[in-house]
Amino acid sequence: MTASEAMILRGPGAYSMERRRASVRHVLVRTLGYVVLTLASVLCAFPLIWVVLTSLRTPDSALGRSFIPTAAEWTAKAYSTAFNSAGILGGLANSAIVTAATIAGILIVATLGGYGFARFNFRGRRTIYITVLSTLMVPAAAVIIPLFLELKIFHLLNSLPGLVLVYLGTSVPFAVVLMRGFFERVPEALGEAARIDGAGEFQTFRLVMVPLVRPALLTLAIFQFVATWNEFLLAETFLRSPGLLTLQPRVYAIVGQYSTNWSLLSASVVISAIPTVILYVVLQRRFVEGLTLGALRG
Amino acid sequence: MTATSVARPARGTRRERAAPGLPGGRVRSGTGRLRRERVGYWFILPTVAFFVVFLAYPLIRSFYISLHSWPGFGPEKWVGFRNFSAMFKDQVWRQSLVNTLIFTAATTVITTALAMVVAAVLKAGWRFGVVFRVAIFIPALLSLVVSGTLWGLIYEPSFGILDQFLRSVGLHELSTSWLSNSHTVLPSIIVVSIWQSVGFFMLIFYAGLQDIDPELYEAARIDGASVVSQFRHVTVPMLRTVTSIVVTLNLINGLKTFDVIYVMTGGGPDHASDSLTTYLYSLAFGGQVAGAIPLIGYATAIGVLVLVLAVIIVSAQLAISARRRVTA
Repeated sequence: MTASEAMILRGPGAYSMERRRASVRHVLVRTLGYVVLTLASVLCAFPLIWVVLTSLRTPDSALGRSFIPTAAEWTAKAYSTAFNSAGILGGLANSAIVTAATIAGILIVATLGGYGFARFNFRGRRTIYITVLSTLMVPAAAVIIPLFLELKIFHLLNSLPGLVLVYLGTSVPFAVVLMRGFFERVPEALGEAARIDGAGEFQTFRLVMVPLVRPALLTLAIFQFVATWNEFLLAETFLRSPGLLTLQPRVYAIVGQYSTNWSLLSASVVISAIPTVILYVVLQRRFVEGLTLGALRG
Repeated sequence: MTATSVARPARGTRRERAAPGLPGGRVRSGTGRLRRERVGYWFILPTVAFFVVFLAYPLIRSFYISLHSWPGFGPEKWVGFRNFSAMFKDQVWRQSLVNTLIFTAATTVITTALAMVVAAVLKAGWRFGVVFRVAIFIPALLSLVVSGTLWGLIYEPSFGILDQFLRSVGLHELSTSWLSNSHTVLPSIIVVSIWQSVGFFMLIFYAGLQDIDPELYEAARIDGASVVSQFRHVTVPMLRTVTSIVVTLNLINGLKTFDVIYVMTGGGPDHASDSLTTYLYSLAFGGQVAGAIPLIGYATAIGVLVLVLAVIIVSAQLAISARRRVTA
């Protein structure tokens, strides 16, 4: 029963009673909501704040003192160690190369493929598309051993190009499905118009169609960035030389090598997170879109 | 690496494009149209090439190797399905299967429930709502390797912040070596996985909530429904599609979980935290370090099993959502 109904049924006295009870309940619900949100936020953010603080103190003081470092304990030494002797800079550089190459490659392959599946009615299209689609959910573990053997035969084991090729191959199904969806929403008349003006199929694609799906390209690039930058299993398996390790296997190697140097481990965690955080801060809504799109679309 | 997406069956073949009448009175001929459609092969060529070399062929090879006994070099010996039947006699395999099931069930149920509730609360509108949303989402920006490293420090028994906290509030008996105690190791890793992923799924639910018609809540309020019953009778049913996607993604992620376990414990102590994936990895690649003969055939068979389980999960989800569409 709402407050106004109560007033009609029982007169003004009952109305104010009802209203007071409703507002008490309202305050209670709001308070409970704040408690839930605050608790969730603290649980999520606290480990991050703690690791930043730990990375900024001297190694010996990192072991169990006050939560906030005292004035004498502040130092950025862990960061210089991470960059100079722990090799995190090399990890960042290798990851940057691999990620950039993978994004560039996937944009080309998936735009071509997505357009091909969306706009041409060649024989066998449906069969080929469904075959590609059916491998969307293949876990890396199911193909990692044959991939390892394959790279070995091609002499691409322990090389960044080899890793990029594998990333491209395993990312292609999702990226093509995504791009096909975007191209299907482009009005067909636009392509027809270009063809009437005498543009060839590839020209139509490059000069008319690709510019039309530019927002989709950014979305795909963001998605691919996060997937490639954070990938560990394949990189750990295919890269052996310490100088070639990308960021995630590098961090894992640091854990093994400097297991007791807490400020260094914390600094490595912070440094590894920074590129993604920066991207998130700069792109905001587009970033979240790119990330969640993988789940909702496709 | 593998795309986190739920496959929806492709819509039927696009209707044949009617040959459009072109200005100037020229109508494109049937063979001209066919020639145009055939250009499509060139567009999908790179896709198909990558697909064949890095997915289709490795998958077929996986099935082949899984039916053989093979140390990784020399001739393969045909053993039929014996690699698969051998699993049931393998104590460690059984342990890692149970661990994988526990991990998957726990992360799926808890992550989905938490993400949905927090998203629904957040949707109600709050001062500083953005701050809450960002704080809960931020762990999702970290990789699982980095999350595992961070929580390894938190769980460390003598200096880790968790045991320090427990001791400081007088709960000495609760503090333990979280990652080297076989009873606490798996729950400890599950917590890390949930912490890392809940913000991501919260955002997916949050996006799904935007599509719910506000009038439904209005109607529920007029009927005197409390906040809780609005959640139960409006929010939960209306989010059904999103929920099934979230559940599927969580099941798949749980099934193939590797990074966080490998980084935090390597499957130990004594296989207490081994998953199917970490176990097959140690069989195939760990042996190189230990000098043992790698059991490539057996390890690949476990990989094939993981694939089969993933296919079952996805098919079940597709079947359920298809039936729902029919009954709805």
